[in-house]
Amino acid sequence: MLRLILAILLRRLIVVIPMLLVVSVMIFVILRLLPVDPIAMIISPTALPHEVEATRAFHGLDKPIPVQYLIWIGNVFSGDFGNAISFRVSVLNLVGETLPATIELALFALFFAVIIGFGAGLYMFHVRGTVRETVTDVFSIAMLSFPDFLWALILILLVGVQWAILPFTGRYGPEFIAPDITGFIFLDAIITADGPLLWSALGHIILPALALALAFAPLIMRVLKSSLTEVMTEDYITLARLRGISEWRILLRHALKNGVLPTLTLVGVQFGFLFGGTLLVEIIFAYPGLGNLMVRAIRNTDLPVIQMAALTYCVVVLASNTVVDVLYVVLNPKLRKE
Amino acid sequence: MNALAWRIRRLPAPLRSGRVLIGGGIVLAVTVIAIFAPWLAPNDPQEQDLFGNIMPPAWDPLGDPKYPFGTDNLGRCILSQLIYGARVAMVVAVVASTGAMVIGVTLAHIAGYFGGWIDGLITRLVDLWMSFPPVVLSLILMLGLGVGVSNVILAIILVDWTRFCRVVRSDVLVVRQRDYISAAQLLGFGHFRTLRREVLPSVMPLIITLMALEMGIAVVVEAILSFVGLSVEADVSAWGVMVADARQYMYQSVWGLILPIAAITVTVMGFNLLGDGLRRTLDPRLRQERHAQA
Repeated sequence: MLRLILAILLRRLIVVIPMLLVVSVMIFVILRLLPVDPIAMIISPTALPHEVEATRAFHGLDKPIPVQYLIWIGNVFSGDFGNAISFRVSVLNLVGETLPATIELALFALFFAVIIGFGAGLYMFHVRGTVRETVTDVFSIAMLSFPDFLWALILILLVGVQWAILPFTGRYGPEFIAPDITGFIFLDAIITADGPLLWSALGHIILPALALALAFAPLIMRVLKSSLTEVMTEDYITLARLRGISEWRILLRHALKNGVLPTLTLVGVQFGFLFGGTLLVEIIFAYPGLGNLMVRAIRNTDLPVIQMAALTYCVVVLASNTVVDVLYVVLNPKLRKE
Repeated sequence: MNALAWRIRRLPAPLRSGRVLIGGGIVLAVTVIAIFAPWLAPNDPQEQDLFGNIMPPAWDPLGDPKYPFGTDNLGRCILSQLIYGARVAMVVAVVASTGAMVIGVTLAHIAGYFGGWIDGLITRLVDLWMSFPPVVLSLILMLGLGVGVSNVILAIILVDWTRFCRVVRSDVLVVRQRDYISAAQLLGFGHFRTLRREVLPSVMPLIITLMALEMGIAVVVEAILSFVGLSVEADVSAWGVMVADARQYMYQSVWGLILPIAAITVTVMGFNLLGDGLRRTLDPRLRQERHAQA
């Protein structure tokens, strides 16, 4: 089993690395087409022409684009990701500080989405063939029409402002100073046994994670329902029925195991959408993650930060696809034998 | 009554579906509003009334019948902005999804029909594109292209062609195994003619369904880009811009926020219902399933 997983990881790595190189070229070239001059943002308006040129040369922006790319990618391979132009700190630090927050948000969102999606999917399967199925189905289409960033605003309006029961800005209460051990606030709070901080972080993540989950759950629900419907026509289900096994047991012990695979594929393919969705949700909730960093960098035309943030998004998506590939093999006995 | 039932049964399948009728109705209504915006809007959407900003809707005792849905923080008529916003949304939806469809479907046909290295190349390209979260890719593209409706359309085309390519390719792969494709080739049809006359018509139902769904996605993407301030020019009314502006004064009034959100979701829902209804009625596999059930 372990050998198989390692083989998959190796095979993915061979595909992923050239892919990341091409992606980095794409990001680099698109960003160099920008009609704005990043130097203009950092230099004083009274600077003399030779000072402008010196700053430009300092950041390597005077060289042709292919040369700039080779310098950048060469540095990246030697572990130097460059410095942010406007923040004047290492890009790696900026991304390292914000990425854990975004990963936490995405994982919580995925957790909520799976719970809501599975619950709703099983319900819809349970009521199949009745009027309630059509109602649930149309309702799920209506839910699909709410993109995550609109959910975010609705949740803030309702739960945050109208009822005022949950906080909706930041990652934890302003009264806390986060211990900076792993960067993952939940882990850090557990390590330092800081109960109030854990509680505060939990309260802060519910609304943004729920906004993402509510947009994602209908997809899970619909795929789960349709794959369960398909599985239920298989011979082994009929056999199980003939053996007198209860309908619930058939569903949970036999059908769900096989019905879950297409759902898993969907979650894997769509995780990129969920992860990309964190970008806007972070802005709306003032949540200090990668999305907030990227939009701030966009406002300052800070090219090194923008390209690194964009590349990080791609790395996370490719990594999550790999995880799904491995899970798929672990869960699917048919693939395990090969 | 019988005559009516008989007539309904004689309608083409899609028109008998409630989803298609409701979804299509919503889409048609938004289209009509977009086309006739200058006649329907009570005010100039960009005209500011700085003495009457953040006014509640007309049904509120403090409202002004001149502004049926009230005004925003700059005193602009919310209803008129909503009506004009439908223009941006519909233009982006129609043009962007058509563009994405043309590129995606063309590449899907080439990949699925010819197979071999060209299929491998196109599939790799799609995988590459899909490793970008769509929001991130469209943000970077908009940054490179600069704001403007035509650039939004271009960005959506460049991001979303993969949605068509991926799905249509696998259908083309199936279709090209059919006997009538070999028959067409034996009759001396060239590749282009085979693709256009035999392959394309059989994947058309799928393309129509995907188009409807893509239009909904395009409306959302436009709203997202407007929301971040990377979409339309400053003097154009768009729903996403309204949402972003209204967020700043949502403690004073919620109408400026709720109404454009409602406009976006109702429009997207129209496209989704239409797409889902078309999928159910046009997809022969699903149709057979339902016949078997009945």
